[in-house]
Amino acid sequence: MMWLSGGFIFRRGESFYHRLDPRTKLLNSLLMFVTSLLARSVFEMVLVIAFMVGLSAGATVLMRVARTMTFTALFSGFIFVVNIAFTRNLDTSLLYAIRFIAIVVSTSLFFITTSPDELEQVMRMFRLPRDVVFAFVTAVRFIPVMMLDTIQIMDAQKSRGLELEKGNLIRRARNMIPILIPLVVNSVVRSGELAEAMESRAYGAVPRPTTLMAYKARMTDIGVALAAVALFAVAAYSFYFVIPVRFP
Amino acid sequence: MIEFRDVTFVHQNGVKALDGVSLKVGTGEVVAVVGENGAGKTTLVKHVTGLLKPESGSVIVDGVDTRDASTAQLSRKVGVAFQNPDHQLFSETVEEEMSFALKNFGFSEDVVHNRVTWGLELFGLEEYRKSSPLVLSGGEKKRLTLACILAWDPQVVIFDEPTVGQDAIQKEKLAGTIQMLTSTGKTILVVSHDIEFLWPIQPRVVVMKGGRVVGDGPSTDIMQDRELLGSARVAQPQLVELYQEFRRRPRAPFIHPLDAKRWVEEGLRA
Amino acid sequence: MGDILEVEGLSFKYSDAPRNAVSGFNLAIPEGEIVVLAGPSGCGKSTLLRTVNGLIPHMYGGEYSGDVRVGGSSVKGSNMRDLAQSVGFLFQNPENQIFMFTVERDVAFGLENLGVPRNEMRARVDEALGLLRIGDLAQRAPHELSDGQKQRVALAGVLAMRPKLVILDEPTSLLDPRTASELVALVVRLRKELGTTFVVVEHRLDLLMGVADRLVVMEGGKKVAEGTPKDVLFGEEVGTHGVAVPAVTRVQKMLAGEEGVGVERLLTPSELAAAVEGREI
Repeated sequence: MMWLSGGFIFRRGESFYHRLDPRTKLLNSLLMFVTSLLARSVFEMVLVIAFMVGLSAGATVLMRVARTMTFTALFSGFIFVVNIAFTRNLDTSLLYAIRFIAIVVSTSLFFITTSPDELEQVMRMFRLPRDVVFAFVTAVRFIPVMMLDTIQIMDAQKSRGLELEKGNLIRRARNMIPILIPLVVNSVVRSGELAEAMESRAYGAVPRPTTLMAYKARMTDIGVALAAVALFAVAAYSFYFVIPVRFP
Repeated sequence: MIEFRDVTFVHQNGVKALDGVSLKVGTGEVVAVVGENGAGKTTLVKHVTGLLKPESGSVIVDGVDTRDASTAQLSRKVGVAFQNPDHQLFSETVEEEMSFALKNFGFSEDVVHNRVTWGLELFGLEEYRKSSPLVLSGGEKKRLTLACILAWDPQVVIFDEPTVGQDAIQKEKLAGTIQMLTSTGKTILVVSHDIEFLWPIQPRVVVMKGGRVVGDGPSTDIMQDRELLGSARVAQPQLVELYQEFRRRPRAPFIHPLDAKRWVEEGLRA
Repeated sequence: MGDILEVEGLSFKYSDAPRNAVSGFNLAIPEGEIVVLAGPSGCGKSTLLRTVNGLIPHMYGGEYSGDVRVGGSSVKGSNMRDLAQSVGFLFQNPENQIFMFTVERDVAFGLENLGVPRNEMRARVDEALGLLRIGDLAQRAPHELSDGQKQRVALAGVLAMRPKLVILDEPTSLLDPRTASELVALVVRLRKELGTTFVVVEHRLDLLMGVADRLVVMEGGKKVAEGTPKDVLFGEEVGTHGVAVPAVTRVQKMLAGEEGVGVERLLTPSELAAAVEGREI
């Protein structure tokens, strides 16, 4: 689980990549995702990965991406072994193994450089209903708060002699009840208070709320987008028009 | 009863919450821990109950090193009334809520029954025995959590910010409970920044700042030390401030230092 | 200046409650005052506040009679959109009124909801951040703030709507005393700079008595006392209504028999000491 959270959780950064329009970051990651699926030669896959590694370095998240790649490599090693066992084709097996890494990295790059605020902006740009967007915002916003609640509840119950790690599976599950019920009760109270505060700050007053954030396509946005499109074009061209060389 | 020996603790985020804390609390003492938010008060409390273990140094509770005992074992000796009752109430009835800890500690059925009845009577909650703890008012919930703790008769009782969200009447009842507990010889730790609440209780006061103990002594001494309180961002009780204002003025009515307490007590009753 | 808030014969009963939470309540608050509302838990303070910003009756149903007017227009007849701009409400727990992931986005929350154009919004957000002197926190996430900072962020979000009347519901209950007195100083400054009227619910009267123009005491849904802080706290029966009289005031009251001591207003410890200097006690 650690590699998963480490590879997908946003941390604030000041790099050119962090400052890109969230739409550019989304477009780039989507294109890299699709390009990885289209690529039919190891060479193209290596190009895609090299491009993303370059961007990660520019985004000063290379270490985190590298860590994700290392963990993913374990799975891709497995994919490689299975493939080689069935197809006896080194090239195809290598392609599948690298493809898996590329797909994970493309998604990871988006999530670790895009703040929840920007995610919200992207959702709005796609004209998702305000309530859906806000539900997402609240869910993410209150993750740290709920975690703190959980710790405090566990502390309180442990201080009343509750032993979480004691007993068999059923007993352990039952031990969770004193933690879960206060957690649910607190969340209900919290959502009531949130609703009051939302009403008091004119939530839903106009059908199309404005936003404080302003996004303008800058040279860096155009540059990254063009590079991504070019890579995609190469892969798409070879996918449709070039018959891949097959080794016997 | 409680001893901190040069305890240091660093949180995951790198904040040094306790920085070389040494502290001895004797049986039957009433100690208030004061300091601004983030001074390390809560971390200190969590070390007494074993929820946190010292990174260096050691914490001894009733002769037991907290590193050698689980929180469940320690909580038999140490009861903590946490700030927010909603973080612990979960049972269907008030009675079951009170039995929870008692059952965890393995008391027999009739002992549990007797203790529950005793606790409910002590805090005037008998009428709620069969109702859900969630229907109680804020003050009643607070009293219920106290009843839950006292039911298993721990030697040490810790109050974590007991006055938050409580009105004047509820505060008075709380002060009464603390006074009652002192007479039963319990060791009491009150973590609070409500100076006006602490003053009439006249506890020993431990002042914390940036994870260190910067002051320790009787209420009357500590509360008169403006410099110390100011540096730890702790307020001074109004009566002490007033007393000092009177003493500062050469032409103010003469107040004998020994009169301070009497004077202040009369002021409190008026 | 006229009365910014008028409550006339207000009674309210929640639909599932056995009796009125507020009954027969009258109150008139002139513009620009700092009013403290006190009383024991469950005395109806919260209900009264919610009738002022319209959560009652627009969000909570029940039996409503009488009238509440803010700036001359009836709360019952207004919608939440207008009310959100005339009455600001700072709730007890700042955590539960911060919605967004950065401070400046959160301060903008209400303005975004109103559809305020971006340029104007930018200016008003910066103004609110400046008023509360938290410009340096603009890019912080909520979980990176202390309790006192969260309180300020929430208040900035309220002030960005430029309300004429601001309600603070036990704003200091989670703060340590120093941070709490900083908040009180802030309220005094905002009243001076913006002319905003403040209604503050507070248990810790010692913090506010020096700055409040009016003290209203409630019990059992009814108003039991109203006046200047000194008049109310010097009144005979106020202690029985679950209101803690600050220690200095109790001493001032004791000394009030001496001629000339604290007959006009409440005194701070040093003022009280100065007032009795040279006298026999």
